[in-house]
Amino acid sequence: MFLFRMALKNLNRHRRRTFITALIIAFAILIYILTEGLMLGMTEMSFSNIINLESGHLQVANQNYWDERKELPLKNLIEPSEEIERKIEALSGLQAYTKRLNFSVNLNNGIDELPVKGVGINPEQDGAVFELQKHLVEGRMPQAESSEIIMGAKLAELMDFELGDYAVMLIRTPDKTFNTIDGEIVGLFNTPHPSLNENNVFIPLTTAQSRLDIDNQITNYVLRMESQDSGLTAAEELDRNLEAPLAAYSWKDTAESLVTMIEMQTIETQVILAIILTLAAVGIINTIILAALERMEELGMMKALGLHEREIVYIFMGEAAGIGFIGGVMGIILGVVGLFIFNYYGLDISAFTGGGDVTYGFPISGTVYAGWELSSFIFVFVYGMVVSILASFFPAFWAARKDPVKAIYHR
Amino acid sequence: MALVKLVGLKKTYQQGKIAVPALRGIDMEIESGEFTTIFGPSGSGKTTLLNMIGCLDKSTAGEIIFDGHSINNLNNKELAEIRRHNLGFIFQSYNLIPVLTAFENVEFAIRLIDKHSKKERREKVMSLLEEVGLGDLASRRPNELSGGQKQRVAVARALIKEPKLVLADEPTANLDSETSQEVLEIMQKMNKELNTTFIFSTHDPQVMEYANRLIEIKDGMISREQRRD
Repeated sequence: MFLFRMALKNLNRHRRRTFITALIIAFAILIYILTEGLMLGMTEMSFSNIINLESGHLQVANQNYWDERKELPLKNLIEPSEEIERKIEALSGLQAYTKRLNFSVNLNNGIDELPVKGVGINPEQDGAVFELQKHLVEGRMPQAESSEIIMGAKLAELMDFELGDYAVMLIRTPDKTFNTIDGEIVGLFNTPHPSLNENNVFIPLTTAQSRLDIDNQITNYVLRMESQDSGLTAAEELDRNLEAPLAAYSWKDTAESLVTMIEMQTIETQVILAIILTLAAVGIINTIILAALERMEELGMMKALGLHEREIVYIFMGEAAGIGFIGGVMGIILGVVGLFIFNYYGLDISAFTGGGDVTYGFPISGTVYAGWELSSFIFVFVYGMVVSILASFFPAFWAARKDPVKAIYHR
Repeated sequence: MALVKLVGLKKTYQQGKIAVPALRGIDMEIESGEFTTIFGPSGSGKTTLLNMIGCLDKSTAGEIIFDGHSINNLNNKELAEIRRHNLGFIFQSYNLIPVLTAFENVEFAIRLIDKHSKKERREKVMSLLEEVGLGDLASRRPNELSGGQKQRVAVARALIKEPKLVLADEPTANLDSETSQEVLEIMQKMNKELNTTFIFSTHDPQVMEYANRLIEIKDGMISREQRRD
C-alpha cells in the first residue's frame, strides 16, 4: 500500500505532464460518452418513434403475413373477432388497441406517380394508440367512413399537393383488379419518423376495406401498453393464448433490423473507444518511460534497498493507475457537461444530413437529445483505468529490469 | 567467522570487443564491527568492489561469502532479499526520493522489512533522525535540506533497519570538510553503539582518519592494507 501511496506522490513531480497525459484519457472518455449518449438518444428516439407512430407496443398478425409484411400483401389477413378482442382485453397493462390495414398504393397527382404505403385507420380509436394527431401541422384527422386522407407534409410537397387537394390513390384488390380512391387531403403531418413523413398515406379503415374489396379484414391489431417492458411480457402472454396462425409481435420484433443495427453501432462505438484509448495508451507509455529515465538513479537506489522488480513495476503501474483515475474523473466530468448540453439543447441531425431525411438507418429526424446510462460511465471509467494500467506494464517492467549498478551510476 | 569473505574475486567488463579488467583477484575478509576504508586512485576498482560486496553486481570469477553463505549462485530476487534485510547503502549523491519527506525517506527502508507496527516504526525513525541531528527537520523534503542534512538522512536510511553491513561509496565527496566531519562522526558513533560494520570507498584523507582498517586498491588488486586500533 505504501508503494501505491508513493506512486501517487510521484504524480506531483511533473504536474503538467500528469495533467496532459490524463487529459488525453479524458478526451477519449469524453468522445465515448458523447458518442454513446448520442447513440442512446437516437436509439430511444427510434424506439419511441416506432412505438408511437408505427407499431405500438405489440401487434397481432397472421404469422404468414408477418413474414411478408414489407411487401404489403393482401393475403393472410385477419378476420376481426370477439374472441381475439377478448384475449387482447384480458391483458394486464393494456391501455388501448386499434385495427389497421396496410396496403400498397400508387399515389398520383395527375403528372407523377409514387408508390407509397396506405394505412387504413380507425379515426376514433387510432389516437389512443398512436400519436399521429399530435404531429399534424395543418388540417385535421380524417373522419370515419369518408374518403379523407392525411399524409406527410414532405410527401405532399414532393407530389405538389396542398391541403384540400384530391389525391388519386391507385390500388389493387386481392384478385388483382385495379381500383382508385379519390382522397381529399384534410391533414398534413410532420412526425420525427422520416419514413412516415415521406411514404405513408392514412385513410379511414372502412373506406380502404370497401375499395380493396376485403370486407372487414385487417392486417393487424395494434396495442398500446403501460410501458415498453409490459409490451414485451404481454406479447409473450398473448402469443401463448392466440391460436395459430395468429401470433403476437412486440415492438422489438418490429424493430428487429434496428436492434441489429444498434448492436453493430455499439460494437462500432467500442472500436472507436479502443482506438482512441490505444492512442492515450501511447501517452501513458511515453510518460512512464520518461519518468523511468529521469529517475534512473533513484531506481538504482531502490534496488539497492532491496526492492524487488515486481515492487518497482507496482510503483509505475500505480502511477499509471493514478493518471488513469485523474483522466477518468476529468473525462466523466467533461462527459456529464457535454451530455447536459446535448440533453438540454439537443442536436439537430439535419445539420449532418444536409437538411434531408437520411438518418443512417435510424427512424428519426429533427433534433436528437442525448441519453445516458450509469453503466456506460462505469464501463468507460474502468476501461480507461485498465488501459492505463496495462499500457504501463511494459515500460514499468523495462525500468524494473535495469541493472542496479547501471541505474545508480546512470551509465 | 568473517562477515564478508572474498576469495580470488575478479571482475571484467566488456567494452565492445575489449575486455577491461576491473578487479584482478581480491582476497579479503571483513569482520563484524569493522570500520573499513577502501581507497585508491580513480578507476582502481573501489566502486566495483563495493558493488560486489553489496550484492549489486556479479563477479566474473572468484567467490563472495556473506555471513557464511556464498552468494555467487544466487538469482536477482535472492540478492535483493539479502540487500533488503542485511545491507545499507550510502551514496555520494544521496539518492533520496524527492517526493518524500526526510521522515518518509528513512521510513521507506524499514517498511520494506515489515516487522514493526506503525507506532514502533515512527518512534524508531524519529529516534534515529534525532540521533543524526534532524529531529526538527523530519517533515522537510530533500530540496529543503542542505547537502550535509541530505547525507544524514541517507545515513539514517541506511541504518534504520539495523543492517549487518553498511556500504558507503564516497559519502563525503559532495560535502565540505566541516559537514563531512559531522557525518563521519555520526557514522562512527553508530558503528560503536550498534556494532554495525561499515565499508567506505573514498579519496578523502579525512575519511581515512576515522577508519580502523585501510585497504588500498590499485589496478584492481589490493596493494596495501593497514589496521589501526
